[in-house]
Amino acid sequence: MQKKKIATVWLGGCSGCHMSLLDIDERILDLVKLADIVKCPIVDGKELPEVDITLVEGSVTSDEHEREILHIRKQSKFVVALGDCAVMTNVTGMRNYFHLQDVIDTAYVNAISNDREGQLPDHPALLRLNDKVVPLQEVIKVDFVIPGCPPSADVIFYVLNEFLNDRVPDLSDVKKLRYG
Amino acid sequence: MTTITIHINEKEYQVAPGKTILEVCRENDIEILTMCHLKGIMDVGACRLCLVEIEGVNRLLSACTTKVGANMIIRTDTERIKRYQRITTELFFAERNHVCSVCVANGKCELQQLGYKVGLDHIRYPFLYPQCEVDSSHPWYVMDHNRCIMCTRCVRVCNEVEGAHNWDVMNRGYQVRVISDFNTPWGESITCTSCGKCLHACPTGAIWPKAIVQGQLNKKPEIIEELMEKRAMKL
Repeated sequence: MQKKKIATVWLGGCSGCHMSLLDIDERILDLVKLADIVKCPIVDGKELPEVDITLVEGSVTSDEHEREILHIRKQSKFVVALGDCAVMTNVTGMRNYFHLQDVIDTAYVNAISNDREGQLPDHPALLRLNDKVVPLQEVIKVDFVIPGCPPSADVIFYVLNEFLNDRVPDLSDVKKLRYG
Repeated sequence: MTTITIHINEKEYQVAPGKTILEVCRENDIEILTMCHLKGIMDVGACRLCLVEIEGVNRLLSACTTKVGANMIIRTDTERIKRYQRITTELFFAERNHVCSVCVANGKCELQQLGYKVGLDHIRYPFLYPQCEVDSSHPWYVMDHNRCIMCTRCVRVCNEVEGAHNWDVMNRGYQVRVISDFNTPWGESITCTSCGKCLHACPTGAIWPKAIVQGQLNKKPEIIEELMEKRAMKL
């Protein structure tokens, strides 16, 4: 059987889902027998090649994320939204109750730690935040979701293992489904 | 004792008249999902989770407010009901701001449990992200409207069990809010006795004690029923 290709991407999230992915520990050896991990923030920063499965952590918060997620969709046969931020915006969506400018000012200008000298970052290389944070499903078609903040290592391993063995995972079991 | 015959999910039951469909189902281990129902207080049929099909009735009726009638043919487990339960649950999540990971009720929340039961893995409706207030003016408790699902269990428990009627409901539609007195800060309430029953009745993390941090909330909604039973015995 030909080896499959997996990628993992980190958009607007805290990297907790990737930490949980690492928590599958030695079971990762079972996975790499079936698939190569060709891109991952923990591995390297190469351009995303064509892959079978991409796990996407985090929500879409900026112009760069939007470009990235559209590219991911084009390159991946299967896109999995990993974690509550990717599925339902979670903590990253909490800024949606406010105006974007107020949020940026609070972080960069008015925060006590800025000592009244805070400035808005304005380098052309920086991403531009969108007005509202949205979950992946509002930008692209998502094939599978793993909610949880973070999803447990057991569930991540279960889902990957099922896909790599050409089975469809089932999260409807209460022990596997979790938010928060 | 006279009984009537009813059918639930193709099975026949002999039951006492005057009971609600929900009571009969619970007595016979037939699962019905509920959110606004709480033993010890009046049922109002607000959450629409306990909807059942009754033959000859062209709309779904809430099991908690519909009494059994002779020869009723009831179904609780059809695909249509399951579809509605899932939609209702998704709308609970989409209407206000339910961020489980930072909530005091995380892991002990009835809304989370409901989501798991209906197999909710994502929400198909766009989130509204309304700006909701957090009222922390009370010395001991907090009311976080972000997490309120308008089950009105707090309103009923305050009125019917404590007798204070501090809580009530204001506005309609997505602007509907639970209010303290005439929409004044909870800490300034002249009716609240600070008994904390609303806190135990609340199914989510909307009402919680200040001494509690994320995921540490431990509610005891069953004390409401116990209280009512103890009072009935004294009379």
